[in-house]
Amino acid sequence: MSRYRLRVNGKRRTVDVPADTPLLWALREELGLTGPRYGCGVGACGACVSLIGGEAGRPCVVTVSESDKTDITTIEGLQDHPVQQAWLELDVAQCGYCQPGQIMTTVALLARHHDPTDAQIDEALRDNVCRCGTYPRIRAAVHRAAALARGRK
Amino acid sequence: MITRRRLLGATGALVVAAPLVRSQLGYADELTPSVHVRIDGRGRIIATVPKPDTGQGVRTMAAILIAEELAVEVADVTLEQAPGDTARFGPQTIQNSTSSRQLAQPLRTAAATARCLLVTAAANRWGVPPGECAARAGRVEHPGHRALPYRALVADAAKLDPATVAVTLIPPEKWRLIGRTRAGRSDARDIVTGRAKYGAESAPPGALIAVVARPKWIGAQVDTVDDAAALAVPGVVAVVRLVAPAGGQGGVAVVARSTAAALQGRAALTVTWTGGTPAADSRTWIADLEAALPPVTGKPDIQRIFRLPLLAHAAMEPMNATAHVTDTGVTVWAPTQDPGGLRTILSRQLALPESQITVHPTLAGGGFGRRIEPDPVFEALTCSRAVGAPVSVRWTRDDDTRHDSYRPMSVHRLGATLDASGLPVSRFHQVATWPLTVVPIFNNPMLVKASGDHFPYSVPGDVSVTLRLAPLRTGFWRAVYAGQFGYAEECFLSEIARRGGHDQVTARRTLLPADSRLRRVLDTASDHHGYADGAACHLDYGSAIAVLVTADPVARKVIRVTAAVDVGVPVHPSGVIAQVEGGVLDAVSTVLGAQITVREGAVVQSSFRDYAWARIGDCPEITVIVVPSDAPIGGLGELAYPPAAAAIASALAAGGDPVSGMPYGIGVG
Repeated sequence: MSRYRLRVNGKRRTVDVPADTPLLWALREELGLTGPRYGCGVGACGACVSLIGGEAGRPCVVTVSESDKTDITTIEGLQDHPVQQAWLELDVAQCGYCQPGQIMTTVALLARHHDPTDAQIDEALRDNVCRCGTYPRIRAAVHRAAALARGRK
Repeated sequence: MITRRRLLGATGALVVAAPLVRSQLGYADELTPSVHVRIDGRGRIIATVPKPDTGQGVRTMAAILIAEELAVEVADVTLEQAPGDTARFGPQTIQNSTSSRQLAQPLRTAAATARCLLVTAAANRWGVPPGECAARAGRVEHPGHRALPYRALVADAAKLDPATVAVTLIPPEKWRLIGRTRAGRSDARDIVTGRAKYGAESAPPGALIAVVARPKWIGAQVDTVDDAAALAVPGVVAVVRLVAPAGGQGGVAVVARSTAAALQGRAALTVTWTGGTPAADSRTWIADLEAALPPVTGKPDIQRIFRLPLLAHAAMEPMNATAHVTDTGVTVWAPTQDPGGLRTILSRQLALPESQITVHPTLAGGGFGRRIEPDPVFEALTCSRAVGAPVSVRWTRDDDTRHDSYRPMSVHRLGATLDASGLPVSRFHQVATWPLTVVPIFNNPMLVKASGDHFPYSVPGDVSVTLRLAPLRTGFWRAVYAGQFGYAEECFLSEIARRGGHDQVTARRTLLPADSRLRRVLDTASDHHGYADGAACHLDYGSAIAVLVTADPVARKVIRVTAAVDVGVPVHPSGVIAQVEGGVLDAVSTVLGAQITVREGAVVQSSFRDYAWARIGDCPEITVIVVPSDAPIGGLGELAYPPAAAAIASALAAGGDPVSGMPYGIGVG
């Protein structure tokens, strides 16, 4: 067991876990941040996507020691973000389990591309699986979020 | 009929139960679906939703129905989830697309009863006839008096004898919300903030975590266990042997203080396995099914064989369950599709009265039929009993993919005789498949036929079903056998039409009764879509749908899908469209490539890396048209999948090889 200093959602947090513990379990079980969901544990589904060092990362395949002193933003760190607003406006979710990962991936996408094309959306969200079939609404909501973020209401 | 339904709580809350909810009154002798609507002393409207939400939107539907009848907005209804209790809440199973059909009337009646009692209470206070009063926006109004909010009337209303109050439902022409609301999903804000609680988030504080070493090959049982290294992992508390069936599917559970420790402990186990079928191969299975088809009699003008694969449910939230066994009873927290049935099963299994068993259904991250089964709950119970603490069993994605109850493989031989124009005048459809092992009653060809056979066209003929012993666990998968039967029938019809030089829509119009619901949805879809290479219809669950598809066969890409659907009453329009979109994406996934295969006794696929579910880039442009209808409320959750799959495959086959199975153009098994 070792102590690791994480910066999560703007706060300094310390976890005391083995070095190879996946960040996902530290977030969920040590810090009580359960918005990042467990979907596969191998980085294939995207349900846990959070911002790790400002990029869309997969806490299920990143260890705590690799995350030491790194800025991490989980879905809990968003405050009425345009992406969340767009998701509500377009009633995107069905079961909702994958949506925190879809939303965080979109947050990272919009930081790079203020007005992404369908091709850029499809590429950014390629490894975010939705089993309910909300893809058409996700695509529309990404465009809507981009518009909201650019200040068009 | 309204029976006595007045219950005055200590808080002065007005509690209204739908008719036939008699158990609270001490004479539980009915099993009719029902829910409660409670209005507390502050005027807060609280609905208890009898069925769990797996994403199909039953909670939102409940809020809409109750808000409509209580003359408030959808957001004014606070939702509570009913615990498993069939005597109080009626059937609580999410199956066969029944939620709206079973719940609409009882929910509306419960809310309407509350409204009529509040109106009568106001009328009495004012000394006017109730007919002169109206409920609006959470208040009762009368032209000659100042409107009274519900909270001011709750105490009076609770004192009324409901038998003296006439209860009327709001007629469809006056609906503000049902079929009209633009409201989104009731749980949407919790979902987009990450606050929504699924199985893992619902476990009580201090629950231990268990993961299970599962059979290495199909049917294998634990032979020997060396758990010394596992028990040496820091945080591991116990190793528990699970024996099927009351230990779920069997295996060895590692119980720990954290998921990471449990996983590490599992990796450190040495388990040897015995029995089962270590050489099983799904290519052999599909060949055996084909060999089981009966001989063809007569001389059809055309016949084709379709081979369909194993499919996994692969809900985004892997299977899990939490249980706490104590001296006084059992408490379960689980994303289940059947909380009431689960409680009954547990009562039987544990020889405990139902009163000592509490089942808390959580939100479920998808279900698709898998969560009707109780096996993860049994695992959690066994672990909890062994360690004397609440235990939450978590399946990994690998567990979930490799130890599912799969949609059965099936082989279909279809034949038809054709008229001079090349359209079918008689037909046969032979099916060889497996029963659903998780429901023994399905070991019956007639029941399989009833589930699968919904051929809607005016072509005389019949379906014969041959069942073979299932070589692995099989279960309910969205649309159940209709997903296989309908796929084969519509793909066959598409090929017949194509060979005869017929337009896909025109051929189907010719074969459908002129005034039928299917003809109407087909025409609606066609008016929107224009020419389509892929078309299919489906009539089931009291609803009708037609799906038209344009695809790019060379790129193996689905371009555009139009679905026109008649569900009678589309209670939540956005939710109706969502269910159809979901069925279309299931169809895209399974036609383009998702299938489960078995080699050397084990399922090959282990995650979304190799179980090729559709990604956003595979998603076509989808238009869903909700066709107005006078039909009674119909089911929807499973309706779109079978015709969407057939229409997509047929569109991909335009100009290329005819459809011979699922996925299109890829070997099955």
